[in-house]
Amino acid sequence: MEFIGLYPTWFEPGVGSGWIIGIIATVHVLFSHTAVGAAIFFAFLASYAHRNDRPDLLEFIRRYGLFLLVFSYVLGSITGPGIWYSTTVGSPRGISALIHNFVWMWATEWVFFVIEVIGVYMLVYLASRVDRQTHLRLSIIFGLTSYTTMLVIVGILSFMMWPGKADWFTDTGVLNGFFGANTFAQLAMRTAFMFTMTAVVGGIVAAGFKDAQFKRDVARKLAWLGIGSAILGVLFFRWYMATLPETATLIMSNRMPEWFPIGVIGMLVAVAAYFIMTLLQPRALVATGAVAMTLVVLVFGLWPGEVTRESIRKPWVAGQYVYSNQVIGRDVPGRGIESEIPLLEEHGFLRTMVFLPEHLREVTPDNAVEAGHALALAACSNCHSLTPTGMRPLQDYFTADSDIDAIVDYLHAGLASGNTLYMPQIPFTDDEAFALASFISTLTLPVTDTGATVDATEPMAPTALVRSGVEANAGADSAAGSDTAGEAPSVETSGQPLAALVSSPVAPREMNP
Amino acid sequence: MSPEILYALRDPAGVPTQPWLFLILGALTLALHLAAVQVMLGTGALTLRGAYSQSSHWRRLAAHMLTTSKIAVSVAIVIGVAPLLFVQVVYDPFWYTSNVLSGWWVIGFILILIVGYIALYAFYWKNHHLASEGGRSGHWMVLSLALLLLVGYIVHALTNQMLFPEQWMAWYAPDGNIEPTGRQLHYSHPLRFAFFIALSLPVTGAWLLGYRRYQQARPDADADYIAWLKPLAMRLLTLGGVVSVILGVLWMLTLPEKMAWFALSPWSVLALAALLVTVAFPLLLGARIDRGYWGYATFGVGAVALIVVCAVREVLRYVTLVGSHGYDALDYTVHMDWYSLLLFLLTFAVLGGVTLVYMLTVAWQAGQTTGRYSPSPALSWMGNLSIGLLGLWILAYFAIGFYVWAS
Repeated sequence: MEFIGLYPTWFEPGVGSGWIIGIIATVHVLFSHTAVGAAIFFAFLASYAHRNDRPDLLEFIRRYGLFLLVFSYVLGSITGPGIWYSTTVGSPRGISALIHNFVWMWATEWVFFVIEVIGVYMLVYLASRVDRQTHLRLSIIFGLTSYTTMLVIVGILSFMMWPGKADWFTDTGVLNGFFGANTFAQLAMRTAFMFTMTAVVGGIVAAGFKDAQFKRDVARKLAWLGIGSAILGVLFFRWYMATLPETATLIMSNRMPEWFPIGVIGMLVAVAAYFIMTLLQPRALVATGAVAMTLVVLVFGLWPGEVTRESIRKPWVAGQYVYSNQVIGRDVPGRGIESEIPLLEEHGFLRTMVFLPEHLREVTPDNAVEAGHALALAACSNCHSLTPTGMRPLQDYFTADSDIDAIVDYLHAGLASGNTLYMPQIPFTDDEAFALASFISTLTLPVTDTGATVDATEPMAPTALVRSGVEANAGADSAAGSDTAGEAPSVETSGQPLAALVSSPVAPREMNP
Repeated sequence: MSPEILYALRDPAGVPTQPWLFLILGALTLALHLAAVQVMLGTGALTLRGAYSQSSHWRRLAAHMLTTSKIAVSVAIVIGVAPLLFVQVVYDPFWYTSNVLSGWWVIGFILILIVGYIALYAFYWKNHHLASEGGRSGHWMVLSLALLLLVGYIVHALTNQMLFPEQWMAWYAPDGNIEPTGRQLHYSHPLRFAFFIALSLPVTGAWLLGYRRYQQARPDADADYIAWLKPLAMRLLTLGGVVSVILGVLWMLTLPEKMAWFALSPWSVLALAALLVTVAFPLLLGARIDRGYWGYATFGVGAVALIVVCAVREVLRYVTLVGSHGYDALDYTVHMDWYSLLLFLLTFAVLGGVTLVYMLTVAWQAGQTTGRYSPSPALSWMGNLSIGLLGLWILAYFAIGFYVWAS
């Protein structure tokens, strides 16, 4: 029997692996973007200070550098590998795909990391011990090096979303995967954002300056930097959106929490108001205000941004060929990679998974719930918590009056075809669907009024939703097989996209990831 | 786990260069990472030892070692990224499985390291006048060292779990019941861990010899302090070296059955010889240690010995996985990618080489200068060259990127 290379599953029952990856990633973005932005801002300030004979600005660099040393380089340098660690346990085949495609790009970025870390220590500890020209050189090296780390990682992040060139799948050179419209749009957007972060976090240090004139100068520079970068950030965000695939736009408009756009717009307005205030009245720049703004950006800017970035590439997790549940769902001929969907359609998960107790390879009435649990771990738990807490709990998608047959119908109609927006193609065999349904039926499912009419704001019993999907889907299953794997929903029945029939009733529950 | 299953776990994307290059780079960068870790631990311990001493020499040493330890943590983390990257390339089935099986600890590693590092800074912030006033709030330093040792232990366990595919199913599903929370560290070999930690004694001894030589070059060199350092460094080097070798031998004697071949192999003898040469090196130097640059040479020899140890450790892993489990890391499918390989090599050797030499020379000479330091014109030219190379790199990024995008 041929196996598919699924790793064991790490499942954190409290908050779920997805949240842990998200939290670490968000915190790292805060630290790293601030650090990169600050490094470039340092270079600018050092140059300005030397040209205009302003040693007081060098003092700002030294103090801010010491603060950043801890804020960004201590915490940022740990949370950076921390993302690797968390994705290693949460999405091993996803991170593996990125590493096996871009190992030398990451190694290149590592060279810059080494220079950057030595640079920040030198700027802090040698600030008053080297001559001005040498300090300026070190500042420029530090600034340029920091930015190159962003240049490298943005290419890899873009690949996660969408390989740079369409022909990457056949000609899989690094350049084709790394560079594309999304790469540059994302780079522009992140560059603007890092300057906004620099201006916000820089205020925490500038607030402490005793010299009123100096504080006013720095506050104004930070304010202009913040206002300018925020305006550019909005423009670049629109460019970024224009480079996203159609499915990403669809997911963004359908699956993200309603407060996200409001939160982001509110955050931008707050940032603009804050900087206009500190521009007009630099005395208003106080440490508590700057800390509060940092938190506002973190909660209403970074968190929605990272969650959205993580979500809009679904059902893929890397390069549009590794599904979020770790199954390879698309051929990549250039690398000899074959979709694992046909093998799953033929033999199912239980007979092809590596990490499964032998007594679960065949489903029986006695082990159905246990086998279903194993299937839920492997195929669902990356995105759906199996407990009442955590990310998108599985139990929230079904109701207490759902019987096993109804759930089985839903699993076949909604997942086997791969035409449910946001969800991977998951071709459970009949006995696997029965096992998974048996497990789901043991969860504490929410009770609803079974006679109620379907309401767009309420979850719907799969009995009702699946029936409509199955009836409409008659004869369409074969058309939605492996040949269409990885493509946007396209199978239509009775004039309606299958995805609309299958996925829309469960959508309301996904509004709160 | 049969070989077929292990190969099924391997990433189907293949690797972009011959696998042996990743093995070599992995061993080299691991040695550098370990050197930083051992300096970090050793200088941290010396800080704790010296901070509360009545001796002004000890307190002075503690103040300097505290700064060293603080920087060494950063260096250890940033250099550690490289072996972490390379191990995932050729040993992905083993590394990922091991990590997932102890996922809770893998996430814990991040949090523990953050707390451990911040605790080190907390001690630093409480002790700005360590040399003159002695230490305060030593619990922060104790906490920091304990947590740094704990993260080392976590990595030790993850690295060892890789080598036991025959146990993986029992760890994942004990008695046939899947336990996916990853709350267990499943395998450790205390003597192996103790050996690598004990190496921090001779490594720190060698580091102290270099530190002593560096102090000698300062215009305000304190001959009394420099003389006091030498026996301390020698004790750490020789006694620590002997302790390490004993622990290493005990590790060899207790190797699991499938690795027992390694104990008396030429590989382990080579590692032993490298360690002994390092320990004996300053004794062989005699009075020459105070002449020229010989004072730094012991640390150089120690670094080479660490590279040998890491290379030999790689042999143990490679042969164990080939011999006992039929998995050959060297037969990974290669999809050559010349662009990214050349980009790395040029960035590493040319840009990185020039820039790091410039920066480290400035740092080195500034530290030995009283008053404000100005580099020589040649060194300043090198700094300008570094900036030029960085600008060229960024220019090439956009030029190539726009070309690829447009085409």
